[in-house]
Amino acid sequence: MTRKIRVVMARLGLDSHWRGSIMVARALRDAGMEVIYVGNQDPETIAETALQEDADVVGLSSLSGNHMELAPRVVNALRSKGGGHRTVILGGTVPPPDVPRLKEAGIAEVFGPGTPLERIVRYVSACFPQNPR
Amino acid sequence: MSEKSRSGEDGHNPREIIRQAFEEWRRALEREDLWSEDSTRSGVPVKPLYTPLDTASLDYLRDLGFPGSEPYVRGAYSSMYRGRSWTVRQLAGFGPPEETNRRYKLLLKEGATGINGVFDYPTLRGYDSTDPVARADVGRGGVAVDTLEDMRILFDGIPIHEVSTSLVTCNPVSNVTLQSMYFANALERGIPLEKLRGTSQNDFLMETAITTAPESLPPAHSFRLCCDAIEFCARRAPRWNPVSFTGYNYREAGCNAVQEVAFVVANAVACSEELVRRGLEVDRFAPRLSFFLSAHNDFFEEIAKYRAARRIWHRVMKERFAARDPGSLRFRFHVQTAGAALTAQQPLNNIARAAYHAMAAVLGGAQSLHVDAYDEALCTPTEQSALTALRTNQILLLETGVTRTADPLGGSYYVETLTNRLEEEILELLEEIENQGGMVRAVETGWIHRTINETAYAYQQAVESGEIPVVGLNCHRMEEEELPMDLFQVPETLSVQEKRLRKVLRERDEAQVQKALSAVEHAATSGENLMDVLMEGVTRGITIGEVSRAIKRALGTWNAPLL
Ligand code: B12
Repeated sequence: MTRKIRVVMARLGLDSHWRGSIMVARALRDAGMEVIYVGNQDPETIAETALQEDADVVGLSSLSGNHMELAPRVVNALRSKGGGHRTVILGGTVPPPDVPRLKEAGIAEVFGPGTPLERIVRYVSACFPQNPR
Repeated sequence: MSEKSRSGEDGHNPREIIRQAFEEWRRALEREDLWSEDSTRSGVPVKPLYTPLDTASLDYLRDLGFPGSEPYVRGAYSSMYRGRSWTVRQLAGFGPPEETNRRYKLLLKEGATGINGVFDYPTLRGYDSTDPVARADVGRGGVAVDTLEDMRILFDGIPIHEVSTSLVTCNPVSNVTLQSMYFANALERGIPLEKLRGTSQNDFLMETAITTAPESLPPAHSFRLCCDAIEFCARRAPRWNPVSFTGYNYREAGCNAVQEVAFVVANAVACSEELVRRGLEVDRFAPRLSFFLSAHNDFFEEIAKYRAARRIWHRVMKERFAARDPGSLRFRFHVQTAGAALTAQQPLNNIARAAYHAMAAVLGGAQSLHVDAYDEALCTPTEQSALTALRTNQILLLETGVTRTADPLGGSYYVETLTNRLEEEILELLEEIENQGGMVRAVETGWIHRTINETAYAYQQAVESGEIPVVGLNCHRMEEEELPMDLFQVPETLSVQEKRLRKVLRERDEAQVQKALSAVEHAATSGENLMDVLMEGVTRGITIGEVSRAIKRALGTWNAPLL
């Protein structure tokens, strides 16, 4: 049995910018992945949704500056629910100096403004080389 | 004059002579493979050269006229910048109100001539700072306002009877509350509403399409709240612009120039119809409808866009609404330079970009201008980047001489042709929106979301393929980049707001508050004008979160069909 890579995408906190995350969602879909776009949810709900949907990847978007507080909370919530092995990635207005701390907190990769969609698709595909797994 | 008497000796008329000469010139170019078609960003074809042949059908008085007179293509006001320079209106807002108050004062001291206030995410989405879902966003992206007390502090010591204030309230739900707080504060300070000058954003697309939140009002209700504020101002605050149709924001979400103008006009038409239905005469409210547009990279297309918008608005108001007041016929607009055109890579390059954008705005006759800061793609502007942006605005105003003459590109074969072509495209799209059932319906069905999405995705792909060059991003990149500046740090806000809110809650009269809130809920259901109710309610210490919850209890919530 093979299946498509499953991605749950959410926006952190009250961030209302959707352009970037919708572009990413479309690109992943066009690349043959399953994308579940849930909009704004709090970190614990995002983790729950990710488990319910059996997501391989949790994609977070934040352009508001709330990422240092909320992105690690998603990772922690996943871990505490036994989903720590899922890949969490983040995009949006993330100042470069924040990236090392986010990675320490368990975010697999951060994609800032100007990242080609193609690079994001390549990254996600590379996480699951036996896709469809 | 007959064609004959204008003819040259060989029997050809002057236009024919130009045509022949032009064809010859063009063939020479073609022989070297140098004649090719290109197009603007919104897809209007562009030739390598324009001549009198392209504008031959223009009838000067009918199609262009004079600034300040019909059809207003050449400018909204007769003397344009000689009579009154554009308002230097730089955005500002972050942290608790006392911090933003300081930034307003700095900008005014440094020569800004208007205030442009942005609110933080919780305020815009109608949550109190202390709400669990709001806490991580408090003070971010704008200033935190929970109650009237915050509004008092925000404008403390600012001469709001003289300075015009733009309140970037974004969507109608937050607008009814924030505008009421601003007005209530003015009244407390002894300033009658009739004297207040300013603008609130109040665009229902901001709630339902352009930005979205977990809980937005259903489109028809959001639209109604927008109209409530317009109606209230027509009655009580005649110098206040109660809506600014946010073409800028549509554009930033991914629209092109044609869609930007078509959507603002369609939105304004929908509002006008509703207000007429409510019994207001068009000339009572239309002079106070204002617009907010972007200035993006395609220099001449942007200029032509503003000119086309003026011609279209004049026609719509005159033919469709039989407006007669010149104020109703003139399209007045604020411009912000395109944030989405600015890059996180080599951020100082953004100073040059924003300066070009700003130049397009004023060559197109903007009434008011914000120039973006170079750290746009990275953070809220620092004091230094905000000042540089302010100075860019002032350099344009004072050093370049662009203010000397109105509509300096009027009569340019190219710009006039582009203006005509954009007008055609915009009118066509307006018709399509009518076919979709009008603006409110087009939002409800998701047609608007799909349309913006498609354009945004195509744009993204064109940048990635290199078809649209972006310096520092897809060409002239630098692999190892060091950030050449400090980034803004949001000052501590939550604890400040928490403390102040607690004090307000402690001191207010709970019975009055409950009365005010049920009045809000009741008005929301009954259709009574919400502004009337809130003007009183905010003085009782009700919070923006309480108001939003009351309204949503009454009217329900909606999820935008984004994908
Ligand atoms: C477009 C835009 C808007 C549009 C939003 C339209 C929309 N539907 O999205 C409009 C004009 C409406 C808007 C409004 C506001 N904005 Co704005 N906006 C921008 C802007 C200019 C560009 C963002 C954008 O769409 N870029 C294009 C997309 C394709 O890029 P992207 O989002 O960065 O996404 C890419 C990557 O980040 C990444 N990515 C993003 N998400 C995800 C998710 C995953 C899973 C992955 C893998 C990758 C990924 O991949 C994408 C492709 O490369 C930025 C500044 C900038 N230049 O970046 C400010 C910016 C984000 N806005 C900002 C603010 C403050 C606001 C407001 C809150 C201001 C206000 N108070 O009124 C309002 C919000 C209003 C509201 N009601 O909520 C600030 C945020 C400040 C901060 N973080 O410190 C910024 C940074 C501007 C600034 N410097 O002040 N905005």
